[in-house]
Amino acid sequence: MEKITIHFNLNGKDVCRETDPNKRLIDFLRDDMGMLSVKEGCSEGECGACTVIFNGETVTSCLMLAGQVEGGEVITLEGVADEGDRPNYIQQAFIDVGAVQCGFCTPGMILSAKALLDKNPAPSREEIQTAISGNLCRCTGYTKIIDAIEIARDARGGAKA
Amino acid sequence: MKEGFSVIGKSVVKKDAVEKALGHSLFAADIKMPGMVHAGVLRSTIVHGYIRRLDITKAQAMPGVLAVLTHKDVPGRNRIGIVFKDEPVLVDEKIRRYGDAIAIVAAETEDLVREALEAIEVEYEEIPGVFSVEEAAKEDAPKIHGESNIHLQRHLEHGNVDEAFKECDIIIENDYESHLLSHMFIEPEAGLAYYENDILTMICSTQNPHYDRSEVAAVLGIPYNRVHSVQATTGGGFGGKLDIGVQCHIALLAYHTGRPVRLVRSRRESTLVSSKRHPMKMHYKTGASKDGKVLATEVKILGDTGAYASYGAAVITRASVHAAGPYEIPNIRVDATFYFTNNPMAGAFRGFGVPQVAAAHEGQMNALAKALHMDPIELRIKNAHRPGSVSSTGQVLDKDVSFIKCLEEVRKKAEEVLPPCVPTAPNKRRGRGYGCMYYGIGNTGLPNPAGAFVEVLADASVNLMVGCADIGQGSTTVLAQICAETLGLRYEDIKVTFANTQVTPEGGATSASRQTFISGMATKNAAEMAKQTLTEVACEVFGTQKEDLVFANAEVYPKSDESKKMAFSDFMKELVKRGKLALGAGSYNPKTTSLDPKDLSGVPFEVYSYAATIMDLEVNIETGTVDLLNVVSAHDVGTAINEALVEGQIEGGVAMGVGYVLLENMETKKGIITNPEFSKYLILTAADMPNIYPVIVEGDGEAGPYGAKGVGEPALIPMIPATVDAVENALQLRFEKTPILPIDIMRKLYAE
Repeated sequence: MEKITIHFNLNGKDVCRETDPNKRLIDFLRDDMGMLSVKEGCSEGECGACTVIFNGETVTSCLMLAGQVEGGEVITLEGVADEGDRPNYIQQAFIDVGAVQCGFCTPGMILSAKALLDKNPAPSREEIQTAISGNLCRCTGYTKIIDAIEIARDARGGAKA
Repeated sequence: MKEGFSVIGKSVVKKDAVEKALGHSLFAADIKMPGMVHAGVLRSTIVHGYIRRLDITKAQAMPGVLAVLTHKDVPGRNRIGIVFKDEPVLVDEKIRRYGDAIAIVAAETEDLVREALEAIEVEYEEIPGVFSVEEAAKEDAPKIHGESNIHLQRHLEHGNVDEAFKECDIIIENDYESHLLSHMFIEPEAGLAYYENDILTMICSTQNPHYDRSEVAAVLGIPYNRVHSVQATTGGGFGGKLDIGVQCHIALLAYHTGRPVRLVRSRRESTLVSSKRHPMKMHYKTGASKDGKVLATEVKILGDTGAYASYGAAVITRASVHAAGPYEIPNIRVDATFYFTNNPMAGAFRGFGVPQVAAAHEGQMNALAKALHMDPIELRIKNAHRPGSVSSTGQVLDKDVSFIKCLEEVRKKAEEVLPPCVPTAPNKRRGRGYGCMYYGIGNTGLPNPAGAFVEVLADASVNLMVGCADIGQGSTTVLAQICAETLGLRYEDIKVTFANTQVTPEGGATSASRQTFISGMATKNAAEMAKQTLTEVACEVFGTQKEDLVFANAEVYPKSDESKKMAFSDFMKELVKRGKLALGAGSYNPKTTSLDPKDLSGVPFEVYSYAATIMDLEVNIETGTVDLLNVVSAHDVGTAINEALVEGQIEGGVAMGVGYVLLENMETKKGIITNPEFSKYLILTAADMPNIYPVIVEGDGEAGPYGAKGVGEPALIPMIPATVDAVENALQLRFEKTPILPIDIMRKLYAE
């Protein structure tokens, strides 16, 4: 099969990479680009473990082809930490409040939280719940995850709703 | 939080939180090795029958295919199973369920694996299947294993039930039925294995790497110490990763190919072949005096254990022992029978049958309260286990029995936080529901030890090695806290190596809410052994008796002269000087007795956790949908080693418990699961969650490490009856079956 060349921005760096035209974005990111934080939980866009941010919006990378990101910007959890691989404010809130149990949903959760807070720095608790409702978690009951996103919001001066 | 501790009770940051939040943790599917190949499993498409022809030659001949293996390639024992070895690693004789493994393939790419699996030719001879306990019980029913479809039976007899019913003023009799449920951990099972220098190494998603080792060793026919079983970061389990998943298959392929082999299950494969929660049909008869003292309970349970035994023995015994609930009832009889069918294999799932019976014993208490016009909490307090009560197995409950405290605390908190029970809209009906439970910590009446090794190093940092698998719940963190408290060091001084059979001792399963208690005691014992050496040296250094010594907050000093206070790291130089090593090996096996098979009398558990929950919800009578509003859940955990982790368990239990009743439903058609995906098997999302008010109840500290018991399964159990009761109270209707889906609500409201 003829290869295609994809030009896109991954975690702030411009990248040009050849790959198979029928490769899913999740496989491209994990296997070709080494972005192992992108997890596969269901392969049908339901669980949200493979969530990445594409041009500012969360998408499930198991339902996209690699070629669809041509010319766009992709952020995975690898691109979220502060300099020196230190947890950023959202990650720190997840750590501090006990929002991480098994950790398999965590990358997608943090990315959904980031996409929300980037667009809306002062979401209400209900808006937070809606924003992460595409990310399934079987361990935490979501409470501490929602708490963490509220703490992150407040840490950045987002008004309490 | 209990006083007098420096590390116990603190919500320290979980050991794995930073690496997981950064996305650095490697789950099994993330691990790669040079030369690694991929694997897949050919599974049966019939539920019951025989293989008449199996031709693997085309698949074997494909370039890039390294191995196609069948039962003939199993060098050792071709049977696995935690209690009974009844499941073939690769089918040799008979197919008993949809998805039985027939052949396994290793190939250079995942595409090649798929193509090779498709190239294998199978012809079956189907025989009639059995899909319900009623069919299974028929004399002429096809037999799944051997001569009878009865897997196990349990009979519990306590007091004289028949005589007691004659003395009762009121008798409540009801049927209850539970349904098939799936764990739906978000990470599907995965593992990687390689065979080098006669050692089989495997890194897997698992709840019990030591059990995995024993099965793989037997299947390969090699000694245990030539299997090196390591737990990869594991994305949840809930009981569903206690059975063998990919372990034996990757081990066989690695053994035969000499290449590292990785197998990652798809969601579909995971759901189709992993164990499920036992569906149970229960009949309850409860007799009481008119002032609300329960005098007798009679219980009949029929359970569908599916095609293989798995943890059925644990489920039937635990369900029988807990069937009457956390109440002092002088006369109890339980008869339970589990049948084999060709349905999906049922096994361990958070609570081992207790969620099912809790729906019934609490349904009975709620019905009794209504019939007697009594407050449901008052009725429970009147009958509650209290110190000195005798349990259904004749055990005197003398260790940390805090059920009444749970009931009082849940009522107090509910009065504080719950608004009046008034619907928020004209098309809604609001209800409060009550549910309680007790739960024995550890395996039921069986030895189930765990071990730990401790080494205090020369700079006062510590290596703690435990077999205990951390599946995300936080055992590694809790055990480090116990170790630090015992040694008088800080939490961050303790490095934990866990669930790695080459270096850690037996930990037993991460199941039965047992690790905080049992691995916790083992850790404490190991730390105390290391501390003996520290104490001997400290007596010399300070010229004092051991009773005078204090080890706390990374300092060592005699109480009699605090001016001599030394940093722990300086004190360790005294050990170095003397050529002393501070080492500890500890183990713990809970003090239980085996149960008498004639009446199940005995001491099945050393300690019990208790819980009481109040659910507040609304039902939309135009749509049948339910809005969850508030949950207050009080849990007696003995001592909370880490409050944030205890809350995390309680909150997770709420989501899973509510989903159990109102949303989750594994459907089958002739033994085949028809909704193995998240798009058709729904679990609660963040948008569905109620306000949760966890209440941590602590006891007198006589049980477990620093008084700690377990909470993992107790978190879930009371949610089942509380949710059912709240829906019933909202609608003034009775639901004898779970699930209660919108369609069931609409049918009850309008059709019946």
